[in-house]
Amino acid sequence: MSNSIYDTYETVIGLEIHVQLATASKAFCADDASFGGDPNTHVSTISLGHPGTLPRLNKKQVEFAIKLGLALGSEISLYNAFDRKNYFYADLPKGYQITQDRKPICIGGSLEIEVGDTKKTVRIHHIHMEEDAGKSMHDQDAPHSLIDLNRAGVPLLEIVSEPDLRSAEEVDAYMSAMRRLVRYLDISDGNMEQGSMRCDCNVSVRKNGATALGERCEIKNLNSMRYARRAIQYEFKRQVDLLESGGKVAQQTLNFDPASGITSPLRDKEDAHDYRYFPEPDLPPIVLTKDYITAIEANMPPLPWALLRQFIEEKALPLYDAKLLTEEKETALYFLALCAHYPDSKAISNLVINKILPYCNEMSLTIYEFPLSGERMAAFLQLIDSGKVSNTIAYQRLFPAMLQEQDKTPMQLAQALNLLQTDDADFLTTLVEQVLAEFPDKVEAYRKGKKGLIGFFMGEVMKRSKGKAAPQTTNELLRKQLEG
Amino acid sequence: MKIDKALISRLEHLARLELSDEERETILSDLNEILEMVEKLQELDTDDVTPLVYVNEDVNVWREDVVKDQVSQEAALSNAPASDGAFFQVPKVIDLKS
Repeated sequence: MSNSIYDTYETVIGLEIHVQLATASKAFCADDASFGGDPNTHVSTISLGHPGTLPRLNKKQVEFAIKLGLALGSEISLYNAFDRKNYFYADLPKGYQITQDRKPICIGGSLEIEVGDTKKTVRIHHIHMEEDAGKSMHDQDAPHSLIDLNRAGVPLLEIVSEPDLRSAEEVDAYMSAMRRLVRYLDISDGNMEQGSMRCDCNVSVRKNGATALGERCEIKNLNSMRYARRAIQYEFKRQVDLLESGGKVAQQTLNFDPASGITSPLRDKEDAHDYRYFPEPDLPPIVLTKDYITAIEANMPPLPWALLRQFIEEKALPLYDAKLLTEEKETALYFLALCAHYPDSKAISNLVINKILPYCNEMSLTIYEFPLSGERMAAFLQLIDSGKVSNTIAYQRLFPAMLQEQDKTPMQLAQALNLLQTDDADFLTTLVEQVLAEFPDKVEAYRKGKKGLIGFFMGEVMKRSKGKAAPQTTNELLRKQLEG
Repeated sequence: MKIDKALISRLEHLARLELSDEERETILSDLNEILEMVEKLQELDTDDVTPLVYVNEDVNVWREDVVKDQVSQEAALSNAPASDGAFFQVPKVIDLKS
């Protein structure tokens, strides 16, 4: 059965991504906003919701929101106000979350994603500022839930997309692109394991070709891309099955259980939240000027897509290299810094991708902690380029030696380890003669026209020289002996 | 708008309160009186009046991103009805298995 009923439906997905901002202090009070800490130690009378306390906005949250908005091409609202979203839950001591319901800071914008070879633009509906709730643990203390308020009040941006995504793969690509962007902007570590990036997925299905949107379900709090993928795939099947059996999809909030892989209702429509939003009177509005925004714009870091284009167009790198090098901003900038020391960008790219990145991963270093200087790397590449050390020998033996003995130049090391290529004609002629004497039948075949065997002879000479035979001289000597 | 028993029960749920029948009666008539007053106010033409949200005209009351004014764990937990010395303890608030 190649044509399954599922093939006649498409999934329509909109995402609400919550990004925890990498500020030092919280959104509306000065508590430590960092992850971890002993329970209930990053708290104050404000985050504990004590009566008589007043919130005060962290300037940085506004700055970070604007950075993200500018990167996504959003319109930045000059007038910003906050609202209260009212609900009772044990990890929300005030009884309301401060958010932006009426006047979000960024309107519109878009992010380009890539699935396979297909590019796609995902439109952003808006981005607003809000605060995180505390953390509840339900399974550690039998009759109780345990509450830790360290996270209560940590600044968040909620990025709401239009329903432009059509598959779990696209969701994955969109989340990855957003994660890369917030890391480039230094506004969040984008760490999904620690919950710095979580998403709610709005999923609906419709017949292929239909334009109206189906009734949607919201899957809450997906904190890994793998869960998001599984939840969406499960939800697609569930909704199609429901429609095909004559049922209707009810608008619901769902929880995804990673253990069983199924979604289940968190609350029904009848019990739908009635948040009774109203303006937050404790926080005066934020009125921004064009100058303020221009100043932030002037200090924007390079963006991943700009670097990707630069690497391909200016540095003439293959797409594969350019993508790998721009995955993290630090890698990209490190590559550019090396380019200032040496003109061959492809040789630098090879070195970064094949040696420096793996070394840093293995030693758990950031690329900036990589011990060899740009000058030393340039000297290393120069040795290869000038033919003094073969590429293979340089990568396999000289590079590790440079890491071991940092006070010697690559040239000194190559000499000490006897790695320099030789075009000493006497030495090479001896080797050539040895090889030809050892393989008379191959010599015969070559002379009868199997010219491709030259590679074989080269390899044999190279082996005997321990990689040091200068290829060009060796090649000339071989041909002379074979054809002469 | 008229407040009825169903709405009172909805409000009780939203406010996580449980009222006695007597209290419900009192609240019902109180709220209806308040709404009547609001309806009276609404007779006034306010088309040209901007809603007043903030009591003064301050804008951009914000602060630098610096950590300070935290309280100790002991102090944080000291007003809680129940704690285990590290966490606040509250009645179990979730039942995902249903």
